[in-house]
Amino acid sequence: MLAQIDVEFREQILNDYQGVSECQVCDKPDYLVPIREVAFSFFQESGFPTLKNEDWKYTPVKRYLNEPFEVDQEDTNTIAPADAPYFGKQLPGYKIVMINGRFDPEQSELPDSSQCTIAPIIDVLREPTVKERLSKSRNYGANPFLAMNTALFTKGIYIHIPKNVKIDHPIHLVHYAGGEQKQFNITKNIFVVEEGGEAEIIESYYHSGHAPVSFRNSATEILVEPNATLHHIKLQKAHSNLRMVEHTEVEQKQDSLYNNYTFTLPGMNFVRNNLNLDINGSNIESHMYGLYLTNENQLVDNHTLVNHREPDCESNQLYKGILTDRSRAVFNGKVYVHSIAQKTNAFQQNNNILFSDDAAIYSKPQLEIFADDVKCSHGSTIGQLDDEALFYLRARGLSKADAQSMLVNAFAFDVTEKLVDEEIKAMLNEEIDKVMTGVIS
Amino acid sequence: MRTENEIIDDFTTREYEHGFVTDIDMDILPPGLNEEVVAFISAKKEEPEWLLEWRMKGYQAFLKSKMPEWQNFKAPDVDFQGISYYAAPKDQPKYDSLDEVDPELLRTYERLGIPLEEQKLLAGVAVDAVFDSVSIATTYKEELGKLGIIFCSMSEAVKNHPELVRKYLGTVVPYSDNIYASLNSAVFSDGSFVYIPEGVRCPMELSTYFRINAQNTGQFERTLIIAEKDSYVSYLEGCTAPQRDENQLHAAVVELVAMEGAEIKYSTVQNWFPGDEEGKGGIYNFVTKRGICKGDRSKISWTQVETGSSITWKYPSVILKGDDSVGEFYSVAVTKGKQIADTGTKINHIGKNTKSRIISKGISAGYSNNSYRGLVQIGKGAHKARNFTQCDSLLIGNRCGAHTFPYIESRNKTAMLEHEATTSKIGEDQIFYLNQRGIDPEKAVALIVNGYAKEVLSKLPMEFAVEAKKLLALTLEGSVG
Repeated sequence: MLAQIDVEFREQILNDYQGVSECQVCDKPDYLVPIREVAFSFFQESGFPTLKNEDWKYTPVKRYLNEPFEVDQEDTNTIAPADAPYFGKQLPGYKIVMINGRFDPEQSELPDSSQCTIAPIIDVLREPTVKERLSKSRNYGANPFLAMNTALFTKGIYIHIPKNVKIDHPIHLVHYAGGEQKQFNITKNIFVVEEGGEAEIIESYYHSGHAPVSFRNSATEILVEPNATLHHIKLQKAHSNLRMVEHTEVEQKQDSLYNNYTFTLPGMNFVRNNLNLDINGSNIESHMYGLYLTNENQLVDNHTLVNHREPDCESNQLYKGILTDRSRAVFNGKVYVHSIAQKTNAFQQNNNILFSDDAAIYSKPQLEIFADDVKCSHGSTIGQLDDEALFYLRARGLSKADAQSMLVNAFAFDVTEKLVDEEIKAMLNEEIDKVMTGVIS
Repeated sequence: MRTENEIIDDFTTREYEHGFVTDIDMDILPPGLNEEVVAFISAKKEEPEWLLEWRMKGYQAFLKSKMPEWQNFKAPDVDFQGISYYAAPKDQPKYDSLDEVDPELLRTYERLGIPLEEQKLLAGVAVDAVFDSVSIATTYKEELGKLGIIFCSMSEAVKNHPELVRKYLGTVVPYSDNIYASLNSAVFSDGSFVYIPEGVRCPMELSTYFRINAQNTGQFERTLIIAEKDSYVSYLEGCTAPQRDENQLHAAVVELVAMEGAEIKYSTVQNWFPGDEEGKGGIYNFVTKRGICKGDRSKISWTQVETGSSITWKYPSVILKGDDSVGEFYSVAVTKGKQIADTGTKINHIGKNTKSRIISKGISAGYSNNSYRGLVQIGKGAHKARNFTQCDSLLIGNRCGAHTFPYIESRNKTAMLEHEATTSKIGEDQIFYLNQRGIDPEKAVALIVNGYAKEVLSKLPMEFAVEAKKLLALTLEGSVG
């Protein structure tokens, strides 16, 4: 099935696997070897997903992969330009610099090591928490990129927040991409927040645009232990030469809270987010907020899966989309409530505005419920700005662009207001204004 | 299922073995499916050459099709070679008097309030002279004839109105649509044909019940309804009473064509045998139903109450081609025991200002699984298209499942779509309230469920609605507690 992609690229993948499995100097713990083997043989069998895969029905990845990519080149020379204007640069906090997936401690500003452990993933493979995360069985069928990731990863970051530690500032991960060649980078990250801990992790992305296209295949495994809290914010804005598939697996234990905010803004050519939540304890609260504002020929695809395994939990999804130009977006949410997960409250909402007849939105909110004493609902809308509201604003002297961006900001407000961080809110509002000014509906 | 090659092999080896080439007198074909069988059915029905060719195309498409795998249940292995594809209508009633009929069945009839004579008809008992269904039917037919309405069996239509059948057959559900539609195209036995001429408003609800020779149309029914410009027709299918049927697989095809300003209302009440406690032996109801709003301002409305069958798998759909056309889908699906329902609708908005409304109510009890699967698609040219979808699920007990799989796609910026779905259970407070007022829990549930399904039931023709209400209550009996 791998025959679907460029010969050189395929060669690269096979070589890379050989490199990973035969590497003499690398740490290869016993538990990981069969996991990698299973993942790779699955990936070889299935290849990259096609439109026939129900989870990729509207997402033709082939066109984004059709390049002679170099897979995970060892490249220690590239340094992140200090003045790179990535989205979220002004935000205060600790900074972790990742260059094509490789952790660069020199450019990073790390918290005190008494607060938490931060290390390259490849150095901590024998940590019990890492072993436990990596040993979880995953549904590769729904995302063959994940199989590829597990089989081939050598880069990525491990963040561990010890028991009862509350990190004083947000930890900001900045992913730099690009090199001299077209690159395909594989990153595996693991975040663990131990019992009673609390942290905020922000992710930003950067691609200079001068460098050739690069593809990011990233998978993040997260564990939120009892009573712990994790705020996870993704600011997905970078040059169109960056394409990416980000897979996030979260396991939550009782009484924990996980908040995910995913903002995808104009720029990146192709973004696919998979967010899978495993609600594995009682009294868990989870929120997933998404906002995608797309232009030109962007394709943004958000897939979520919330698995309610235990009673008395609450999950809440709110995804809003604004589509302009020739862009396309996909929202696919699924809530699965097992029969013992009584008294589950699960909500799912997806609202979209289309600004162009060339744009397309595919929304598929799904519920699978096996318990009777639950409150589960979902809603999905697709529409446009209210003409009367526009007229009201125009009648009060606002230009069309101003009126439009004011209304779009109001539409996005439901999502942005959920942010605690005022600075990020302001950044997003400004960005929306900037984008909407150019849009003629 | 057997592979294509096996079927072909079988065909080639069987060809000379039996040699039933033109044995027109035969009443029942031995089980098996091949080109000869298709040719035999066509010959037996004295069909014109074009229809035989069309059937053959359907058969070829069937051979090429694969079983779908996207559904939310394990599709049963149907042995297509184990089915007999032709049986002449039986003149002989099955029983001589009601005393021979299963008393359980009779009790159900009684509680549904079905008149004695009707009961006999349903149970397959010889109908005596007092109740002359033929004469009633003839009176209706005369009246319809005066208006120019054609209402007859598909076979009659092929003989008497071949030009109409040829013009519309397979235009909404092509023979290559899906494996069961292909099979139906190849071997369809009979069905109903309705033609409403321009400007005519059909004065009565049409139903297979009044069509003579309607019995034993078998498992591969084919229905075609054409409503010409500015006409109206309401069609009823099925029956609230449990139906006796020996065939397990039912793969019918229904096609509706609405011209400019025409309206077709199609209502179904389905209560086939759901199988025993283990879910064995029940009917597989795999039906392809689709309508096209061809002309401007036309309207098609599907209403269905599904309570029977071990597996119900169908998506009555509407293609909204004409500008300002309207599509509607109202559904109540009740599953209990080990029943499975995977049903919903597909609405394709193509024309401008097209509107659609989907109301689906699923009720699952026991060990059953009830899925809503729907597609709303807004094409590029469907300016100002409007859709509203609501699908609610009610769970009774925690061994059943309710699933919602909506697909919502829009390619037009002026379109407005709304979808909402909820899943809940019958509130203990609601039952308590009714208990307090002297209504026992069983009746309370029936009352609540009827209220829950009211929005759909109210769309049924009046007499039908009354029966459907009773049916809902009856179906859910014993599932509380």
